[in-house]
Amino acid sequence: MSSPHEPTASLLDQLQRRADGRNVDPTLGVLTGEGAQQRVKTLERAPGIRPSLAASPASPSYHGLPVIKEPVWIAAIPTYLYVGGVAGATSVLGLAVELAGGRRLRQLARRCLWVGTAGDLVSAGLLTYDLGRPARFLNMLRVFRPTSPMSIGSWVLAGSGGLNTLALLLSHRRGVPGKVGRAAGAGAAVLGLPLSGYTAVLLTNTAVPLWQSMHRTLPLFFMASATAAAGSLLSLLPHARHEARVLRAFGLAGKVASLAAGLAVERDAERVTEVARPLREGVSGALWRTSKACAVAGLVLDLLPRRRRWARVAADVLTTVGAVSARFALFEGGKASARNPQATFQAQRRGLGAAEAIANHTLASDGRPLSFPLRVLR
Amino acid sequence: MGQKGFFTDTTVCIGCKACEVACKQWNQLPDDGFHFTGMSYDNTGALGASTWRHVAFVERPVPLPGVSTAIADFSWLMLSDVCKHCQRAACLEACPTGAIIRTEFDTVYVQPDVCNGCGYCVAACPFGVVARREDDGRAWKCTLCYDRLGEGLTPACAKACPTESIVYGDLEALHARAEARVQSLHARGLKDAYLYGKDAANQPGTGGLNAFFLLVDRPEVYNLPPDPVVPTMKAKESWTAVALGALGMAAVALGAVWLGEEARR
Repeated sequence: MSSPHEPTASLLDQLQRRADGRNVDPTLGVLTGEGAQQRVKTLERAPGIRPSLAASPASPSYHGLPVIKEPVWIAAIPTYLYVGGVAGATSVLGLAVELAGGRRLRQLARRCLWVGTAGDLVSAGLLTYDLGRPARFLNMLRVFRPTSPMSIGSWVLAGSGGLNTLALLLSHRRGVPGKVGRAAGAGAAVLGLPLSGYTAVLLTNTAVPLWQSMHRTLPLFFMASATAAAGSLLSLLPHARHEARVLRAFGLAGKVASLAAGLAVERDAERVTEVARPLREGVSGALWRTSKACAVAGLVLDLLPRRRRWARVAADVLTTVGAVSARFALFEGGKASARNPQATFQAQRRGLGAAEAIANHTLASDGRPLSFPLRVLR
Repeated sequence: MGQKGFFTDTTVCIGCKACEVACKQWNQLPDDGFHFTGMSYDNTGALGASTWRHVAFVERPVPLPGVSTAIADFSWLMLSDVCKHCQRAACLEACPTGAIIRTEFDTVYVQPDVCNGCGYCVAACPFGVVARREDDGRAWKCTLCYDRLGEGLTPACAKACPTESIVYGDLEALHARAEARVQSLHARGLKDAYLYGKDAANQPGTGGLNAFFLLVDRPEVYNLPPDPVVPTMKAKESWTAVALGALGMAAVALGAVWLGEEARR
């Protein structure tokens, strides 16, 4: 293959080369490797950190440069965190209605199936958009790797989407196809449980300080928030009065639980000042405050006695806005905490690194006792 | 084959960047744009998709014993940073496609033809090593010159290092060499010298690094995390929380349906 960069040697040049006995091939200098045609990188520095070591000897950093890489995901991911969560929670409610509800709730079960299937398909679309090529979503199903929440999640989403679609096509029929369809619907609903929670494990299973700090509570928050958001979405869709009672109870439990879990998540982050900074400052801080305000307002409107129609709609809209903005706040906040090297350093010095995960580790290689936070040299 | 790795002795690094250049040449990586960062002599800044070796230039207002400079309280520290090839590699455990593998030399390798560009390894790495190239989104990092090792060659950076700051070899031999070096530095008065990430006892969060370092200041000064942990180690608690949440969600769904039915009667 001839390269466009190949210089054309003049006749004199060729003669000179022959006289020198040189056998240097000018094409040897042309980069043809697989990684060769990359665009050059841009350096990013932590905001608000002065590029100097001397500036703060107590908490040094390398010119304020980030120590870990910022997550490269785009806005499709926090959108998926909402859509996927709602799809999972809706599927779960659908199965509960099938199992425990009477004939009058059959319409609701069917609607849950529709919403769950649509949510799964939209989720797959959002993930494919983030990956860039449709074939890449299939590539995610190349292996099953239990250590990778993203691998588990891909299988869960693919399974849930496939089973939901099968149920939608078959479950209203009679005979064997109907049985298969209803079994598929039940399977999709069982997969809906991890579908609404695994995304939290995916986020906390990274080196991003903000996400890692909340690895015990974020799954509970995501699942509670998904319950509240699913209840709100189904209430916003046209429904009968007897169905509203089920949806209200479902959504109300989710709203209370998500407020409590949201406080727990925030308390987890607050253990280290620098880690929690994105939840107080900047765009992510504003989004987080918005999400809390919307969640509280949605709950209060829902608990008003003798609720009017506008109050019900407003409560559902506010809850939805709160759930979406919470996911964007945590997503953007995680990116901001990854840019701040002190968030990583200070959390680890406070014992939130390996010391938190491996409790019985006491001796260093030189036989001296290891103490966490790690001994500061000098 | 055996376990291969790098021992990087930062006390003899002179910041010549021969390793960066050799790495770029052998692996056919493009340049980084010849930008000046405006804050130090370091013009590469960090490891990335096109930078698999990065020389950090640390300017400290602290003297090193036995080194005299024109300015009283000052010393240079240089560190040739690279992928650590962790014994428990976060990128490998996070990769959902199996693109990241452990080779017969016990190193961690990203297969570019399998990589999906999901970017999960980028967020998972506690050292900020793996990076995604911007055009097609695939992840790239140091391969420890996997293509050279198979031929019995030394990786390009170690081959080019003029001061033997980067030493390549069998992990056990490297450990012995590193321990001896620390002993001799301590004997000569440089009491701050210590090994970073030598083995699982030294750095439990990663199970030890195949590319470990001799440092003379806190890890933060070199932009290394003081107590890194492979995020997977904390995943068990997260999955437990998911199980709890699933129980709660199922109970809420069934309870809501029963309550709704009750209210009808």
